[in-house]
Amino acid sequence: MNAQAQPATKVMKETKNKIRVDFERTSRWERFRIKYLNGHFIVMTVWWLFRFVLLVGLSYVILMPFLSKIAGSFMSPEDFVDVTVKYIPKYPTLDTYRAIIEESGYWEAFANTFILSLGCGVVQTFICSVIGYGFAKFKFKGSGILFLLVVMTMVIPHNTLELSLFMEFRYFDIFGIFRLLGGGVTADIELISFTSLNLNNTYWPLAILSLTGLAYRNGLYIFMMRQFYRGVPDELEESAYLDGCGVFKTFFRIIIPLSVPMMVTIFLFAFCWQWTDNFYTRVFFTSTGMKLMPDIIMVPRQLSTDFAGGDLYASAIQNTCGLLIIAPLIIVYIFGQRFLIQGIERSGLVG
Amino acid sequence: MNQTAELTQSPETAVKKKRKPASLDKKKARAGWLFVLPFVLGFVIIYLPVIYNSILYSFTKISIVAGGGYRLTWVGWENYSDALFVDAGFVQTLVLGIKQLIFDIPAIVIFSLFMAVLLNEKMIGRAAFRAIFFIPVILSTGLIGSIDQSNRMLDYMESTSVVDMGDGASDTATQVISSIQIQRLFENMVIGEDLLNYVVGLVNDIYDIVNRSGVQMLIFLAALQSISPAIYESCEIDGSTAWETFWKITLPMISPMILVNTVYTVIDAFTSADNIVMRYIDNIYSSPGGNVLSSAMAWMYFLLVMIIIAAVAGILSAYTFYQRQER
Repeated sequence: MNAQAQPATKVMKETKNKIRVDFERTSRWERFRIKYLNGHFIVMTVWWLFRFVLLVGLSYVILMPFLSKIAGSFMSPEDFVDVTVKYIPKYPTLDTYRAIIEESGYWEAFANTFILSLGCGVVQTFICSVIGYGFAKFKFKGSGILFLLVVMTMVIPHNTLELSLFMEFRYFDIFGIFRLLGGGVTADIELISFTSLNLNNTYWPLAILSLTGLAYRNGLYIFMMRQFYRGVPDELEESAYLDGCGVFKTFFRIIIPLSVPMMVTIFLFAFCWQWTDNFYTRVFFTSTGMKLMPDIIMVPRQLSTDFAGGDLYASAIQNTCGLLIIAPLIIVYIFGQRFLIQGIERSGLVG
Repeated sequence: MNQTAELTQSPETAVKKKRKPASLDKKKARAGWLFVLPFVLGFVIIYLPVIYNSILYSFTKISIVAGGGYRLTWVGWENYSDALFVDAGFVQTLVLGIKQLIFDIPAIVIFSLFMAVLLNEKMIGRAAFRAIFFIPVILSTGLIGSIDQSNRMLDYMESTSVVDMGDGASDTATQVISSIQIQRLFENMVIGEDLLNYVVGLVNDIYDIVNRSGVQMLIFLAALQSISPAIYESCEIDGSTAWETFWKITLPMISPMILVNTVYTVIDAFTSADNIVMRYIDNIYSSPGGNVLSSAMAWMYFLLVMIIIAAVAGILSAYTFYQRQER
């Protein structure tokens, strides 16, 4: 471009097939000045540096607790007394891990929680897609009010309902049917031998809550699925109907395969939040009947914390318990985070 | 599958009864009901009784009867008056908790918006930064949050005890900048003492704020992605700077999500385990005879937070810009 614009360009014929173009090139300094010493470039560089420093700093803030927990988990009691030790233990040991795994029944808790979280995750993902699809694609009387109720379940925290949730499943009864059959109302009819069911310390409470889309943050999942399905063009279903598919066949054959990425996102949320949940496990699993993840947070008896830095050591042990709890989640996250972000971006959560 | 059978057969049965077959709209409405049926059933069978009972319990005292059962004694407003006037710490905790909530909302919303804008830009290592920033969404909830509440080891590890500023103040956990340095920076400016304390408090709490703004960041990021690039392009052609584009385009376009995120932040803060009022209520719940009292407290707290949400949503929705109407 430059060469053409300049009048000083000379084209000389060297040989028959070669030409030599002779022009005055802008000096190196001039080119440098124009390219780099302008306001735009300087602002962009400063912004780039600022952004980079900020992001790295905040990443440090996020990652640091995890790194220091990992460091602490390898320390032996001697390291906590030694003031020169901060992050890198002088006497690294695996005793903490070994003691916790041996004494707290980690594998049992792991298996129980895994079954619970996997079950809850799968069921909640499916149910929330079904409900979300119903809200997104069908117009019926009262759908607005019903959706408002979904939002309400999201807004009312389950902590408020702690006691009544416990009581509901401690004395489980549908509209007093069990009480009627069991002779609780009139003593002469006694078809079943109980007046209510105690469902606590079983998987049932969470299974029932999951099946009805009322479990932890299910309102949010329903909302997300609804937004996703509203972005799916109606023509897809219409063509399926024309080809003779029923509503349900369309849903299972066309819609579900379409929404797999979004469902993976929901499943990730449901699985991970159920895994680290300590509210429902505390309410529904009151006695020591079933070992779950919250039960393994303890200081093993074979590790003595009775010395000067003992409370630090005890805290390090607790953190190690925490690390053991989230270890599977870290693996899940490494493989799943792609879906998490893409899923939400694609969902058109906004719109 | 029974339901599909029913649907396909319904025209035939309708013909037998000499009635007009259901129109497509009606059929679709019926299918819609079937899809949302699980929620409706759960809501009626489980959720309504639970809410009803929770309100009921807050007006009663519970005694467990031998042989499987419990008895409720109606005590009227006694639990409420106990919570407000007899219990020593509740009102104090409530006021403190509400104050904290009101101060945290703008911090979290603004921070998450800022981070979402940053993470939305094209740069080297964007995927890695995104992955790091969404770690708290998954990992710092529930159990881990409750372990972290009083974590002596983290305090110790992150204290910079070597650097003593000489003011007798020792640095506590997860500080990026020493609060004293900020204080020195601001001392010469004409700036209110309260604002100074607020900013210093925020800087000290940065870990907490980062942890709590994960979902909000995701929502903002989705909102930013949904803005049509054509708008930005036309802005660029008209010669607007990045600063102008942000205030004139980005902010109005994502303002509905600011509303959503504010409400979400309030709800999240309200339900999280490290909320001081919730912790107080939990303590009361596990103390003997405190379960009904905790119900009363929780309802009072819930009503207060509802009022806050209504107020915030009312104010914000006046400034919210909707590009298009609902379909």
